[in-house]
Amino acid sequence: MTIAASQHRTQNPLERRYALLGVLLIAPTVLILCAVIVYPLISAIYLSLFSIYTPTLKGSWVGLDNYVQVFGSSGFWSALGTTVTWTVGTLFLQIVFGVAMALLLNQNILFRSLARSLVLFPYFVSTVVAVLIWRWLFNDLYGILSHLLIQFGVVDMPVDWLGKMPNAMASVIFVGAWKFFPFVVIAVLARLQTIPEQLYEAATIDGAGVFGRFFDVTLPQLKDVLTIVILLRTIWDFKEFDLIYLLTGGGPVNNTRTLPLIVYQQAFGLNQMGVAATYAVAMMLVMLAFMLIYLYRARRQSP
Amino acid sequence: MVTVTFDKVRKAFGATVAIPGLDLAIASGEFVSLLGPSGCGKTTTLRMLAGLEQPTAGEIRIGERTVNNLAPSERDIAMVFQSYALYPHMSVRENIAYPLKKRGVPKADRPAMVQAAADLLQLGPLLDRKPRQLSGGQQQRVALGRALVREPKVFLLDEPLSNLDAKLRAHMRAELIELHRRLGKTMVYVTHDQLEAMTMSTRIAVMQGGVLQQFAMPGEIYHRPANTFVAGFIGTPSMTLADGEIAMDQGRPVLKLGTLSLELPSDHLSDRPDGTRRVTVAVRPEDIIIGTGSFRANVRLVEPTGHESIVLVNAGDVGFTVRVAGDTVLKAGETIPLDLRRERIHVFDRETGRRLNADRAAATADSVRSRA
Ligand SMILES: Nc1ncnc2c1ncn2[C@@H]1O[C@H](COP(=O)(O)OP(=O)(O)O)[C@@H](O)[C@H]1O
Ligand SMILES: [Mg+2]
Repeated sequence: MTIAASQHRTQNPLERRYALLGVLLIAPTVLILCAVIVYPLISAIYLSLFSIYTPTLKGSWVGLDNYVQVFGSSGFWSALGTTVTWTVGTLFLQIVFGVAMALLLNQNILFRSLARSLVLFPYFVSTVVAVLIWRWLFNDLYGILSHLLIQFGVVDMPVDWLGKMPNAMASVIFVGAWKFFPFVVIAVLARLQTIPEQLYEAATIDGAGVFGRFFDVTLPQLKDVLTIVILLRTIWDFKEFDLIYLLTGGGPVNNTRTLPLIVYQQAFGLNQMGVAATYAVAMMLVMLAFMLIYLYRARRQSP
Repeated sequence: MVTVTFDKVRKAFGATVAIPGLDLAIASGEFVSLLGPSGCGKTTTLRMLAGLEQPTAGEIRIGERTVNNLAPSERDIAMVFQSYALYPHMSVRENIAYPLKKRGVPKADRPAMVQAAADLLQLGPLLDRKPRQLSGGQQQRVALGRALVREPKVFLLDEPLSNLDAKLRAHMRAELIELHRRLGKTMVYVTHDQLEAMTMSTRIAVMQGGVLQQFAMPGEIYHRPANTFVAGFIGTPSMTLADGEIAMDQGRPVLKLGTLSLELPSDHLSDRPDGTRRVTVAVRPEDIIIGTGSFRANVRLVEPTGHESIVLVNAGDVGFTVRVAGDTVLKAGETIPLDLRRERIHVFDRETGRRLNADRAAATADSVRSRA
């Protein structure tokens, strides 16, 4: 719009050519964004207004019936609760492990650079591979976790890690934390390295101990990066699918069935593409709230 | 009021020896500057005193107490850092109150103490600001406030003025002198700026390569440098340093500098050399007289600075730096008469660099300073 307006005002052919060049240069980005974000978004909203049979993608207009059905079902609300439990639980552990590990790696420990690379391993390993390994560790017949617990006399019988509640939720939360805490480590470690050493020395002289220095110097300096990390990870954990799906498939009895799993189930298990789209749109609304907080903060921080 | 003593203190960082062995006794209530070029170990010395660095050997005492094994917070010291090190998320008030809070001063007593410190440093209107909303000079004063609020026994300051512009620095120098006079506390001040050291200190410890070169009052340092390093380091522009020889002639020492030959006062040296002695002499720019005298000098360069000019001249193969009044008319290339104030010539052993001048009352035109 701005370009068009400036084209009107100026008859300078050189400037017009530059404006055209500008449009050409941003066109690929705009087209790609439209193809991968705008089209699916509109398409999802569109689909949610139909009753659609997935294999044929044919169906009839139902208006807001899908929304009435979804928001009226207990399945949606319990899945929302499960999603919140999973997100809050795994995020909490990610932050605690992540900050603790970043603090450790910021010290002058032996093999620091090796440790720094190793800690990224869970983040880079494929989810499928990671989950298969964890399922193997969790297995109640030959899994090493139960085996070790029995060896040390903590339990007498193998623990059913994934087939019982609350074990299944705890396991999913824990594996999620293991998989994603390196992201927190990277972000926090980068920030830790920019905290001036003299602040710690001043605090030491002022009489602050280890905890005083952490709470009065480190934590306030980490506040901004932690806010961003928490917002991003909340969004990402909220929509996490493959890790949970592969680990428990939503079981036992839907106890770890989060919203993304319902979407999948509706779309490809029950072949109800319209209802699936409705769940997806509902999920998007929840995440939109987080997005708005994120955008608001990001805007406020850049002057 | 408390003394500070370094007793054979050594500090090595791995294979690097920063301080080979330091003996320094600071009297109660003194303002001592550690002065020397960058990397000479000033900060290391101060940090050992603060407890931020552990000496490799030797003993550090504050008062009668050996502090080697005491944590920084147990030493009853306060430190002002070059970067100020203010806590960025705390207001000025919280910054100043922080050491009180951490030392368990009752909450009810803190506001009055913070207010007293703020009043002393004119920080009253700034108390609710954050450090980033302050100018460099204001941040500096907050750092001072945080240091003095809990009335430590010793103040440590590491180049606290070096991040300020020249004008503000001059202002803060005066404020620090005033602060020292009012508090009467022992202060140890690290600087590489001789002007700061000369104007503020009761005594200056000149350091080089981790070794203490001279520890004396500013006037003494200026008028009686203990060795060639101090002679060359103190004074702007620097003294003229030149190698020469001294031989006795009918009971009077005669100095040969290149082709110049001049007779020194008979009591100029602490001992009379047998035969010829190889020496290094140092002459202050203001101890060289232009316009009279038996030596001929060739003017190489005139640098007018306003009220005075710095003139570089050659006389008898020696290049001298001369300070003359700003209205002196001189041109490069001119040949002029030149003389030296013989009684003010500093003589050092060329091998050891040690001062050879006899102690004479006349040579120490020193104003004894005490603000306590
Ligand atoms: N933490 C350290 N590790 C290794 N060498 C150091 C360390 N701190 C200081 N040094 C060395 O000790 C010497 C004195 O340093 P410093 O006390 O900082 O000098 P100054 O403050 O006089 O500029 C320097 O050669 C410096 O490189
Ligand atoms: Mg230093």
